[in-house]
Amino acid sequence: MNKSSLVVFKVILLCFIWPFISLAQNTESPIIVGANIGNVPWEFQDTTGKFVGFEIDLVNEIGLLLDRKIEIINIPFNGLFAAVQSGRVDIAISSIGITEKRLESMSFTQPYYDSDQSLTTVKGNGIESLNDLRNQIIAVDTGSTGDIWATENKQKYSFAEIRRYEGLAPAMLDVVIGRVKGYISDIPALLYYTKDKPNLVVVERIPTGGRYSLMMGKNKPLVSQANKAITSLKLAGVINDLHAKWFGALAEDTTSTVRVVPMPATDEGLILDFVDTFLNTDVFMQTYPMLIAGLVVTIQLGFIAIIAGLIFGLLFALSKLYGHKAIQVAAKAYIDIFRSIPLLVLLIIIFYALPFVGLSFSPFNAAAVALTLVSGAYTAEIFRAGIEAVPQGQFEASEALGLSYKNTMVEIILPQAIKIVIPPLTNNCINVIKDTALASVVAMPDLLKQATQAQAVAANPTPLIAAAVIYLMFLLPLVLWVSRLEVKFRRGSR
Amino acid sequence: MTALIKLENVTKHYGTFQALSKINLDVKEGEVVCVIGPSGSGKSTLIRCINLLEEYDLSGKIIVDQILVQKGKNLKNVRAQVGMVFQSFNLFPHLTILKNVMLAPIKAKGLSAQVAEKIAVDLLNKVGILEQAEKYPAQLSGGQQQRVAIARALAMEPKALLFDEPTSALDPEMVGEVLDVIKNLATTGVTMIVVTHEMGFAKQVADRVIFMDAGQIVEQGSPIEIFNTPKEVRTQNFLKAVLNH
Repeated sequence: MNKSSLVVFKVILLCFIWPFISLAQNTESPIIVGANIGNVPWEFQDTTGKFVGFEIDLVNEIGLLLDRKIEIINIPFNGLFAAVQSGRVDIAISSIGITEKRLESMSFTQPYYDSDQSLTTVKGNGIESLNDLRNQIIAVDTGSTGDIWATENKQKYSFAEIRRYEGLAPAMLDVVIGRVKGYISDIPALLYYTKDKPNLVVVERIPTGGRYSLMMGKNKPLVSQANKAITSLKLAGVINDLHAKWFGALAEDTTSTVRVVPMPATDEGLILDFVDTFLNTDVFMQTYPMLIAGLVVTIQLGFIAIIAGLIFGLLFALSKLYGHKAIQVAAKAYIDIFRSIPLLVLLIIIFYALPFVGLSFSPFNAAAVALTLVSGAYTAEIFRAGIEAVPQGQFEASEALGLSYKNTMVEIILPQAIKIVIPPLTNNCINVIKDTALASVVAMPDLLKQATQAQAVAANPTPLIAAAVIYLMFLLPLVLWVSRLEVKFRRGSR
Repeated sequence: MTALIKLENVTKHYGTFQALSKINLDVKEGEVVCVIGPSGSGKSTLIRCINLLEEYDLSGKIIVDQILVQKGKNLKNVRAQVGMVFQSFNLFPHLTILKNVMLAPIKAKGLSAQVAEKIAVDLLNKVGILEQAEKYPAQLSGGQQQRVAIARALAMEPKALLFDEPTSALDPEMVGEVLDVIKNLATTGVTMIVVTHEMGFAKQVADRVIFMDAGQIVEQGSPIEIFNTPKEVRTQNFLKAVLNH
């Protein structure tokens, strides 16, 4: 290491240590605030990467009043509920509406913003109102108020399908691509988002009477402290100033942005303990059908990707081992590339980027293609290793007998290779099934997606626990089976 | 009578190493040829070129039953005519003894399973392994496996058999049973080229003995000529070393 790189190293080290030094100086523990960063104009990153927005300003004001430091961490919307319930964050913000369901297991301060839902679409695509969405696919955020509203009104408006995204940006991207016709979400965010995008338009306000508030663990002392702080901020006109700052105008006097309103009553008498929170039978029974529907999708996707991956893998393994020079190079390139690229990145490219070159997949197909490509690359390497593990003498004996290449492979080599590769192949299958969960990002209703939606709607993490148990129930036997096979084969080969 | 197997000017390089150097050899139909010589002298390479398990340099030519041995369509025909028995048996471990013998007649010759089975049963009987027909190779001793390998090669009804040190991987007490099988074969009129270290065996069965060293045929002749009155110094030294230990 030369002198200048030593200096660089020290600077980098200091950058890592710096936050801890500054943290150590603050004796009072900070208030941890979870926020779905990217939810404009409530909480997002400005061009310098700093977290800004209406609700960011609000919690900072509250922090000043309570004389506590505020620390913001970025958590996707549907993860906020579990984060609050598990105590990982003290407060969740993200234009979270107060609902009766949520009040069963959470506490909210008084609201500070009255909102409705809205329908946003691309200008000139023929969608003028909700009534034009008959037999069309619509987008929502997983577990959001818009999701709840759309689910309840699916029949009334005859939506063909509700696709659940992980936030505004991917959902709007798909609206622009045209795979979904409209996006139902909170109106303030969409008015803000579309104001500098002339091709996008909010075509309808959907009155739901939503009220945004700070969400916290049930009956935590911080709830009433924060509520008092909000009262003071309203009386001082600070919150209305924030409204003017972020929306360009003051709020009307009748709104909860200006008026002090009572704190919504949390279900008293029912303090949720661990079992009620994480192993809630009622919630489980209620969300069970959703989870099973998700499981079916997961199994279908896993099955297709595994079978197609096996075929791909075998073809590429044989190409790499025995193909003509050019084919060998191509097969090697395929295998190396798809083993290097993270599946999540590939999924996003296939689903969101390929439409711009005219290749548009449904969420299921996109996930199936991505999983197959990656699983095929891994399977190819497993097969290659398996074939190479068959002794050279087996090839020679088969060739010397005059067997054709195909017969040598089918009758002699592959039957022996397959026995060698069964344990690693099964491991790969387990990985493929687990990786189906990543398809959540392309709005595919797999088991994980269904579970996160269910937990956001029920405001209770039980469905996530249930999903974990379901994954375990059908993956654990496979894992145990592989271990047994591995022991058996090891004995067999002495 | 024309030669069944003819090598003309056969040379083989591994990179810059010359494994075979300008080999000329005619093997007549029904002839039993034993190839002896020190390790690394090119004996195995020589017979592996005959069925093209090793490719030889383009300058030379190998002709088997009037077919030029080269890559392509005809190679299958050559290999059907020339059976091979390996030092390490190379039985197919996932198939029973019977299936090992039946496979090639069915797959390479297109015989029906019934006919192939009849051939296999006959041959297994001949090499004395019929009782083991339903077992897998790993359940047999080395000597038994090698006898199965011989039956497997014979099942294709080849005109010639190549033996690549067929007893070198065997425990000493099993060498005899395999050599007995090969000796019996020698009397049936099948053409054989046997690479071997068993001098007694070579003396007994060979019509002709070839001594190789450094990729060349140094000397050849009847067993009596080679073993009793070798002309070349290298042959004399080799025989002195292997016979007087």
